[in-house]
Amino acid sequence: MQGREVLHAAREPEVSVPTIEVGSTGARALEPLVMATHEGKTAFYPQCSLMRARDLVAALDGGSLPTNGAMAVTEHDSDTATLPTPDEGVLAVGCRRVLGACGWVVPANVDDYLTSGEFLAATAASRADEWLSELRDAGLRGRGRGDGSRDTPIADTWTTIQEISRERNSDPAVVVNANESDPNAEMDRLLLESNPLAVLDAALTAARTIGATNLLVYLNGEEDLARDRVGAAAAELTNEIGADIPIEAIAGPDEYKAGEMTMAIEALEGNHRLEARLRPPFPREEGLYGRPTLIHTPRTLAQVRALFADSGDQVGHVSGPGSRLITVAGDVETPITIELSTDDTLSLVKNAVDFDGQLKAACVGGVFGGVTRTLDVPAHANALTAAGLGTNGVVELFDQTRCMLSVAGHRAAFAEEENCGRCYPCRGGSQQLASMLRDIYDGEFNAEKIRELLRVMRRSSICQFGHDAQRPVATTMNEFESEFRVHAEGRCPNDTCI
Amino acid sequence: MEGYNTMSTDSDPIWNDNRDTTDMESIWEKNRRRIDDQVEINAMLATGTATDPDVTSNETTTITVDDQAITLESDSTLLDGLTKVDTEEDVPALCSYQKDDRIGPRSTCRTCMVETDEYGLVPSCSFPAREGMDIRTDTPAASETRDVNLDLVLRGHNLLCTTCGKNGRCELQEVSIEDEVEHPRYGVVHDRDELDPIDESSPFIQIDRNKCILCNRCVEACNDVQVAGVLRMEGQAGDMRIGFQNEAETMMGSTCVSCGHCVTVCPTGALVEQDIVEEATIPLPGFTHANSVGKVIGEEYTSRPRRMSPMYTEEHTEEEPKIDEQTDSIWQYSDNE
Ligand code: SF4
Ligand code: SF4
Ligand code: SF4
Ligand code: FES
Repeated sequence: MQGREVLHAAREPEVSVPTIEVGSTGARALEPLVMATHEGKTAFYPQCSLMRARDLVAALDGGSLPTNGAMAVTEHDSDTATLPTPDEGVLAVGCRRVLGACGWVVPANVDDYLTSGEFLAATAASRADEWLSELRDAGLRGRGRGDGSRDTPIADTWTTIQEISRERNSDPAVVVNANESDPNAEMDRLLLESNPLAVLDAALTAARTIGATNLLVYLNGEEDLARDRVGAAAAELTNEIGADIPIEAIAGPDEYKAGEMTMAIEALEGNHRLEARLRPPFPREEGLYGRPTLIHTPRTLAQVRALFADSGDQVGHVSGPGSRLITVAGDVETPITIELSTDDTLSLVKNAVDFDGQLKAACVGGVFGGVTRTLDVPAHANALTAAGLGTNGVVELFDQTRCMLSVAGHRAAFAEEENCGRCYPCRGGSQQLASMLRDIYDGEFNAEKIRELLRVMRRSSICQFGHDAQRPVATTMNEFESEFRVHAEGRCPNDTCI
Repeated sequence: MEGYNTMSTDSDPIWNDNRDTTDMESIWEKNRRRIDDQVEINAMLATGTATDPDVTSNETTTITVDDQAITLESDSTLLDGLTKVDTEEDVPALCSYQKDDRIGPRSTCRTCMVETDEYGLVPSCSFPAREGMDIRTDTPAASETRDVNLDLVLRGHNLLCTTCGKNGRCELQEVSIEDEVEHPRYGVVHDRDELDPIDESSPFIQIDRNKCILCNRCVEACNDVQVAGVLRMEGQAGDMRIGFQNEAETMMGSTCVSCGHCVTVCPTGALVEQDIVEEATIPLPGFTHANSVGKVIGEEYTSRPRRMSPMYTEEHTEEEPKIDEQTDSIWQYSDNE
């Protein structure tokens, strides 16, 4: 942890200047990032060396803001609750609505959290109806593959749960599904590490609104920092707001499938082996221990908080308002997580990374996203879906050297190895798919037969895993079928795999 | 997690195919929990399977199947409707088990897909009947999906029917014949190296995993009906298989009481009685864990000798093996082809 060393170095000089440890801004390439703040001015020092950190502290102690060698210097209110974003550079790409406090506040620190407003959960019970109608009017949709209301209006889910819980006299539960094990999707972890109180405050608000009696945070067992910060934030929140709804943090395995919503529930119930549950009924009707269960990702909850905190003010596209967190990865030096308004187009992501050369293709939506030649697609769910892309918030950029058959093949092989095994269209389908793609290298390419299989996987798999697993191959074939054919003739146009 | 995005720069030109076939998946930190006084049904029986919600209707409904209206009582799935009428197209519904409510629906094979107006393609065996639903068996999407999924099931099967103890009484064989599958589009398992060794350790029950379609009936029979807690599902993806809750590698090492219920419900030749030619027998299903201990292994059998499990015998007496007319097709598949 370079950051820790820098922090340690900054704390070496015997000075009265306070140094604080904040979470990531999402721009990992800048880290370790040191920000020096003095009288309403902040200087940004990316990739800060130990020596520089010591010098900065000494200079601040001397009563002046060092700006020499800074990436940017910004002016701001001295009590700003959010990162005083520079006008240029990667931090200026898109917006910083739900990311605003990330990299600025001390994670899980109540005083810092309160600078951006009161705890929503404190007044949730009395304002439940007001907020539900705000949510409904806005039409806010769930975000992320593990969300129980993925791409659909979350107000519907909240209302359904209220109704079912009344009908059946069964207490709802709330699950924060933060086990996003897609290696490129960093946004949920970022929120938990940098501003966990915002996520938990929104989760507790949801819990109080729908009358839930348990709140469970489902984490990735390998993400220790997120786990520590969630633990600390949960303790603070209980302390501040009350312990009427117990908050528990429970870790599941670092496996892609474990983020699927019903496998999340299986893991929370302690099953030693994970496989998907049948649906309908969905978890909102019969979830954790049979109770109506609200499942949201940290990404969704951050949007809920932003909406309520702004008193229903809408940003973004009318069909799916708010913003989207996007991790830009692929052929880039260091991935970055940025925030786009849902009416921005995805092409903005190119400004956030060093991407040399010409874009050959991009995969939008994570490991099972859709492959496209153009990023000229708005960032809202309807547009992404209409373009055949995924909505799981990752944009991987591929340069001209990429072999697209290899891209598709790797993802088919990933599906083949990582599925839970429960249903034939996914388990057998992904085996067959990977083997038909391998056959291309032996000269056998039957596009129609592959497409037929892809349709069946999409239409008849039990869970989202199988439904999504076909997408990278289907979309790559649509865009690059000729490249597949050339392989069948024994040649890789990029000389990468034959 | 990592792994899917590596460029193929190593010697293997094709992305790697190095599925780990040996070990069980690691189990993350044990976190079995209780909430209030809710019963943990898996606490004793570690079946390795998910706890499904109730997928049946909770009221009397009227649905339309291929233009025929049917009224279904509460606790019904769409498949209950399908079985009441002559459908336009055959719906194999291979993995479903209609004889005992305690078993299934597992909904693994997806050969029961039908088209609905409101929900698109749905698995009829595990979709609750809802008032006014209009379902069709004969849309192109429904047919295609059922056919492809049946071929995916056959793909993982060795189809050595001629040497199989269930030849002529196998549900997989039956639906394939009804479905007129002559040459499954994805072939069948033919490489001897890919075959799992047959477990013949038990004197009563033989397990041939190469014929298993992972329908889970045996696991449910063993756990939900017999409450014997012997069988479970284990592994993920291509490594998924039936195994034993006591982690034994063979049937003989398991805690099996040879009640035979798993054999009775198994749709294929994956579970059959041992020594079928010598007409060795197993006790009648219905023996439970409690009453069969000490009476089973090595005892004199009072039950009548038979070649097959009793439920099937009763239903399929005198039936000719269906293999005969099929000599040209897949059913004669042999190793040297
Ligand atoms: S779609 Fe894949 S992951 Fe989902 S239940 Fe089927 S086999 Fe399991
Ligand atoms: S014979 Fe009975 S006890 Fe043994 S595995 Fe089968 S169902 Fe379980
Ligand atoms: S052994 Fe038979 S009953 Fe058990 S899962 Fe396999 S096919 Fe189904
Ligand atoms: S019978 Fe419905 S999925 Fe197998």
